[in-house]
Amino acid sequence: MLKFIQFTITRAFLSLFTLLVVSLIVFSLMELVPANCAERYLAFKNTQGQNITIEDIAAEERRLGLDKPFPIRWGTWVGNVFIDGDFGDSCILRLNINELLSDKFWISLGICLAALIFSYILAIPIGIYSATTSNAVTNNFIRFISYLGLALPNFLLALIIMLFSTVFFQESLTGLFSNEFRDAAWSLDKFMDFLSRAWLPIFVLGWSATAFAMQTVRALMLDEIGKLYVTAASARGISGRKLLWRYPAKHSLGPVINSLGFDLNRIFNDLPVVALILTLTEAGALLIDALARSNDQQLAGAIIFLLTASIVLVNFVTDIMLALMDPRVRQGLVG
Amino acid sequence: MGIFSKTKPVENSQDLKESYFTASQGQLIRSRFKSNRTAMIAGWALTVMILIGLFAPFLSPYEPTMGGRDKSYENGPPQFPKFWDENGFSARPFLYTTERKRSIKTNFRWVLTENREKRRYLELWVDDWEYSFIDLNIDLPGTTFDFELKTLTFKKHLFGMDKGGIHLFGTEKSGKDIFSRTLHAIYTSLAVGTLGVLLSFVLALVIGGVAGYYGGWIDSILQMITDAIRTVPPIPLFMALAAFMPDEWSAETRFFFIATILGLIGWPTLARRIRTHLLSERSQEYVLAAELSGASASHVIRKHLLPSFTSYIIVDLMITFPYVVRSETALSFIGLGLTDPVNSLGSLMQNVSKADVLLNYQWYFIPVIFFIAFVLAFVFVGDGLRDASDPYSHTK
Amino acid sequence: MSLLTVENLNLQFDTDEGRITAVDNVSFEINAGEVLGLVGESGSGKSVTAKSLMQLNPANAVYSSESSIKLKLEAEEVDVLSLKSSRELVIVRGGAISMIFQEPMASFAPAITIGSHMVEQLLIHTTMTKNTAAELSVEMLERVGINEAGKRFHQYAFELSGGMRQRAMIAMALSTKPKLLIADEPTTALDVTIQAQVLDLMKDLVSEFGMGILFITHDLGVIAQVADRVSVMYLGRIVESGPVRDVLRSPAHPYTQGLLKALPKLDALDQPLTPVEGDIPSPLERPPGCVFHTRCPEVIADRCNASVPTRTELGHGHSSSCFVLDTAGKPA
Repeated sequence: MLKFIQFTITRAFLSLFTLLVVSLIVFSLMELVPANCAERYLAFKNTQGQNITIEDIAAEERRLGLDKPFPIRWGTWVGNVFIDGDFGDSCILRLNINELLSDKFWISLGICLAALIFSYILAIPIGIYSATTSNAVTNNFIRFISYLGLALPNFLLALIIMLFSTVFFQESLTGLFSNEFRDAAWSLDKFMDFLSRAWLPIFVLGWSATAFAMQTVRALMLDEIGKLYVTAASARGISGRKLLWRYPAKHSLGPVINSLGFDLNRIFNDLPVVALILTLTEAGALLIDALARSNDQQLAGAIIFLLTASIVLVNFVTDIMLALMDPRVRQGLVG
Repeated sequence: MGIFSKTKPVENSQDLKESYFTASQGQLIRSRFKSNRTAMIAGWALTVMILIGLFAPFLSPYEPTMGGRDKSYENGPPQFPKFWDENGFSARPFLYTTERKRSIKTNFRWVLTENREKRRYLELWVDDWEYSFIDLNIDLPGTTFDFELKTLTFKKHLFGMDKGGIHLFGTEKSGKDIFSRTLHAIYTSLAVGTLGVLLSFVLALVIGGVAGYYGGWIDSILQMITDAIRTVPPIPLFMALAAFMPDEWSAETRFFFIATILGLIGWPTLARRIRTHLLSERSQEYVLAAELSGASASHVIRKHLLPSFTSYIIVDLMITFPYVVRSETALSFIGLGLTDPVNSLGSLMQNVSKADVLLNYQWYFIPVIFFIAFVLAFVFVGDGLRDASDPYSHTK
Repeated sequence: MSLLTVENLNLQFDTDEGRITAVDNVSFEINAGEVLGLVGESGSGKSVTAKSLMQLNPANAVYSSESSIKLKLEAEEVDVLSLKSSRELVIVRGGAISMIFQEPMASFAPAITIGSHMVEQLLIHTTMTKNTAAELSVEMLERVGINEAGKRFHQYAFELSGGMRQRAMIAMALSTKPKLLIADEPTTALDVTIQAQVLDLMKDLVSEFGMGILFITHDLGVIAQVADRVSVMYLGRIVESGPVRDVLRSPAHPYTQGLLKALPKLDALDQPLTPVEGDIPSPLERPPGCVFHTRCPEVIADRCNASVPTRTELGHGHSSSCFVLDTAGKPA
């Protein structure tokens, strides 16, 4: 028990460190953009007909604290984000970023997590089953699907689905919300409407991950089944489903769980393109929409940071799960 | 194929056995690869595509840019040359002349009609638009280092028509020939991919190499940094960056910028693998044995360590390639990567998701098939190489 | 009758390269309280033979119709090869017959505690409750000489030392009071002092529990210490068998003779070693006639490669299959 707690604490520190590094990267990138926040804001005002002078820019810079050196600015940003969860105001729109993003972030995260869960619920049983059966039809089917998953990245699948639905069904399955619900407040009805339309993006997003996970699970199972401890268990009279689950399955799930964070990374990666194809952005519901439409580095930085933080969190959770399942992991990090 | 044939029992001939035992690693890998039919087919397909890409200008009857557009055939469906129709047989493939008419009867929309009486013939080895294999135009600040080099200029193309145009894959909205664009796009995607992978590889080699070789706390710190970078999802990051790309940048600059970014994003995964290989191989007993026999460090590295994972690295590179191409395609598709006039498979697909395209102009999808074939070919070859380089794979 | 009677065991594997014979007409018996050693090089088919006793071989194993493996249980006699499903085989696997393996580390599942393994087996084969099973397991762990058995019960395989793991394995195998214990090279992976302890332990347990042991090894020294009788296998056939003393002192088959000659001698430490000439042929290239004739120093041309030698009885239960023996039953 003690080892487990030690492990958790160490892991938590590592995660925090990773977040810090990420924040550094994000913040530096925000700085790299030509023209700082003050200039861009005032340039924006300039295009609206106001006359801006150099002094105005300098004054604005002082107001935003942009004249302080880099480390201090980074430190303040980190402090605000980590402790208050406050991302400050966006550069151009001058609205609080938290307000702008919160709804969109949760919806995007929800869809991505749903896709992740969906793909694993499908892939794990199928992968395990395919490793134990010598049925040629099943095996070929699985291989076909996994190759298809590799060749057809999510956005292509979305494209093809769109092609079929428009050509054959004369209908386009776009948008996350039907018209009447779009700007309405959340209610059960809105949620049901959302579900009825969200299944498509969830399916498309989860597709690649499913194909890949199926193949991985199958390969891992095949590896484990050949090991001596499975034969030894069989020699003790253990058989059937019990033999399968308690022995090779339990041990091969480790690497699979490990890759959850990485898969989420990939899903986040595919989200913008899929969103574009399935025209999910017109509902204004997605995070990525905010990213693409704005030229605002504060907003962009906040979004990237949020996405990455989610992945770090998932990684942390999966590591803890792994430690619970496999005692060797607890040993490894601490002992 | 005698030794590796799965249907005959092992031949007893002494020569065969000798040649197996004395074969070099390269020969063994090649031989195993050749016996893998899927990989061989994929390998040929890949070679063909690479050649197509390299010789794209030669094979295209049209310039893929606005300069080569056929105004009289906008949004036109694919045209396949025929040998035979109701008017008789022709040894030379031909096409019908199409005329574009617009009148009140068609609601003022341009409608293409075929004139089946007037034939146009396909010609091989024609002279058409000019292209150069080396066309550098380097424009650095100042004028001292500016550099122009244009050589290997040709005008020959594989085929063309005596009159009018031929569009094997049809045309898109502004009349640009999709066939030519696709061929050039293959080249662009290859180029971006190669550049990106090369950059990733170099970075990964250095960082992974240092981490794996020194181990200890250097390794730990580098690991943490690598992992942190790996956690950031590339496309959103790229979107954030690309929105800030100045519009004044030329197509070439955008090209290099994108390839560089993709390379910078791809190195962590590769670096991690190199580091893992190095760490595990370094403590293997055969290294110790070699050192004890008096081998110098460079000898150990060259003859023992490197060959042990060169094959893995090659496979890793082969597998990274389609990811880079995929990322670039995705980015160009959203409009943030390479855009018109530069052709990449992604920019070709940019218009595909619009509703009227889906309904009326389905031939826009043809580049998609190329993309799928391209990625699949890489994947199969990579898999085949991996199986071939693993000396234990056939005993499974 | 004896505890285990194996008759005409014939096993082939269906592979891409064709049918490969792994066990060729093997027959032997084991009585209660007796240790039978099965000796041979790698590739001689000893492990495959052992696994056949519990039908543990992979799915592409094909048993011939004359093969029979008869096991004497309390009330009845069972032909192991006639049991088809895993459910039917439960009586045998882990119940009447237990097996211990060469690699103790690899035989325990990495993420399951020792105790958990043991309790699981007991619950399958007996009607004990979980608590009773746990108590019995701790007792067994103590019996095999593991100290702090209660603590070890909750530990994982990787937390135990090599010798302890092997003992734990033995404890687990014996907890269901099997009639026959199959030991597949149990001491090969251990260092000599631990090996001696484990062998002593096994001998004690045989006399206490009254079970039979099939002890598989390539180490003649271990056989000499622990076995009562020995059978020598080569390329799937038994070439010689008999009481340990007889076989080791007066080996009748050229292969056994070769094996013994290859051992370094204490009284002639500077002598060069004399291995058995040649290499064991691949199972795809089984020599015709006597399987050993390609390496035999006493091969009789046109006889040894033409027909398979039958078993010649040499007295006291010692037998050998070789043409070189003259009709009187003594080596030429």
